[in-house]
Amino acid sequence: MSVRRSNMRLILWGLMLTAAVLVIPHLDVLFRLWLPDAREVIYRRDSFVSLLGNHLAIVTAAGLIATLLGVGAGIAVTRHWGKDFLPLVAQLASIGQTFPPVAVLALSVPALGFGTLPTIIALVLYGLLPIVRNTLAGLQGIDDDVMEAARGMGMSSLQRLWQVELPLSSDIILAGIRTSVTINIATAAIGSTIGAKTLGDPLIAGIVNGNGAYVIQGAIVIALLALCVDSLFERIGCALPSYDQGRI
Amino acid sequence: MQNHDTPTIALDGVTKRFGDECAVDDITLAVNHGELCVLVGTSGCGKSTTLRMINRLIEHSDGQIRIEGQQIRSFDPDQLRRRIGYAIQSTGLFPHWSVSRNIGLVPRLLKWPPDRIAARVSELMAMLDLDPETFSDKYPAQLSGGQAQRVGVARALAADPDVLLMDEPFGALDPITRESLQDELLHLQGQLKKTIVFVTHDMDEALKLADRIVVMRAGHIVQQGKPADLLARPADSFVESLLGGRDLGLKHASLVPVAMRMSALNGECLPDDESVLDTDSLRDALSVMLWRDTFRLLVRDVNGNPIGILHWRDAIRGDDA
Repeated sequence: MSVRRSNMRLILWGLMLTAAVLVIPHLDVLFRLWLPDAREVIYRRDSFVSLLGNHLAIVTAAGLIATLLGVGAGIAVTRHWGKDFLPLVAQLASIGQTFPPVAVLALSVPALGFGTLPTIIALVLYGLLPIVRNTLAGLQGIDDDVMEAARGMGMSSLQRLWQVELPLSSDIILAGIRTSVTINIATAAIGSTIGAKTLGDPLIAGIVNGNGAYVIQGAIVIALLALCVDSLFERIGCALPSYDQGRI
Repeated sequence: MQNHDTPTIALDGVTKRFGDECAVDDITLAVNHGELCVLVGTSGCGKSTTLRMINRLIEHSDGQIRIEGQQIRSFDPDQLRRRIGYAIQSTGLFPHWSVSRNIGLVPRLLKWPPDRIAARVSELMAMLDLDPETFSDKYPAQLSGGQAQRVGVARALAADPDVLLMDEPFGALDPITRESLQDELLHLQGQLKKTIVFVTHDMDEALKLADRIVVMRAGHIVQQGKPADLLARPADSFVESLLGGRDLGLKHASLVPVAMRMSALNGECLPDDESVLDTDSLRDALSVMLWRDTFRLLVRDVNGNPIGILHWRDAIRGDDA
């Protein structure tokens, strides 16, 4: 994927997302054609702009925390002093992946209660897993000879981590963060059921009231957000040191 | 200046145990300044372990290892390794760094000023026959095996270490590239006079490069000495089989230059294609004789001037072994 193409893609989805949140409130006439009998065909309890902002804030907060914790844990258990915990962490990361996101939220309510903070915590826990797994895969996948050379040349452990290990595994780690955040964009919508203000609100309201227009509006914005964020990650990937190794 | 009486590298009763297994057993070895010492043996004989104990990639279990008289355990391992060049078979080049950045690694670790690093990198690239214009900005994935290994050797030499450790550096190369890199190493060593410990399982390589060969087997040193001594007096049947059994004669011949056996030219006229260089080995000359079905060869110097004649009787007499 060339840098130019991924730039174009990012701009395209970004424009479509912006257009969607700005234009949908004015499409009264259009949705009327579909649901002539409904009392209201545009979701107006909150503006789409503020829902989008809230949704993004929740996902970003969860993504940042999950990245810090996940990459940190992955690094820790691949160090000499942390390798006793490697099997445990690797297993937790794989077992955790088998949990459906809805179950994570359902389980978090009795433990954490309702609201934005419990949603963020649930998203962090769920988002950790792909990040930990990919960090481990990335760090363990580095050629032994490269690490041997790094040690033999006299690089300190910190120099090896920053100059060799992280750059060489950055694409795999980024792929983990990308998966985590993309899943969490969808999962955050379910956060509406436990009282967080997200783009899931129109969906839930639509389902409860039998109003298909609400569902469509929420779903379009969420989908465009996911595509937008995904292409943002693709663009970041092009700038990584492991992307260009002279194989062009 | 260092004292030339103390060996640059000294191993004294060095043992390495992995659990109950003894990989290296009570080895004593001294490598003098400017010497190219080749450890040779079959896989698993402990030669690589011995090498890697010198820069503390593996910690020895018993005994003492000294570099220029100082215990290696008295140094911080990272500082020690920055003083010792290290080249390995797979090169271990960093795939995300350009060639010049790879070569400049150790000088950067030693915090040399950037312009000094840049100058040193171009100097090394020129020394190893890598055109800086073409190669500086290439990545390891764009290099051939031979080029990558040149970069690996340049990286090992970057901070001008006195000691160089080489672990089968040419083992993965095709025979022609390997031979040219061996020649280049010998040429470099002639100028630089580093103290080199070189590990290989290839006895031909050992015979060609070594000032001293150390034959190892099952963690012990079986025999050590000059290549010619080893060929003349193999300590046991193991060394003899490593030396190639019935190939021994040819191997020996490969150590003797034609110049040592040729006689003066006295007006004889020999066909042009039946000639060898005075620096060629007797082995090459014998091969040409077999191939051309002849008893005599014209000997030329590097400029192509005829300077002597080699008779096969002189070639096969064994007086100066």
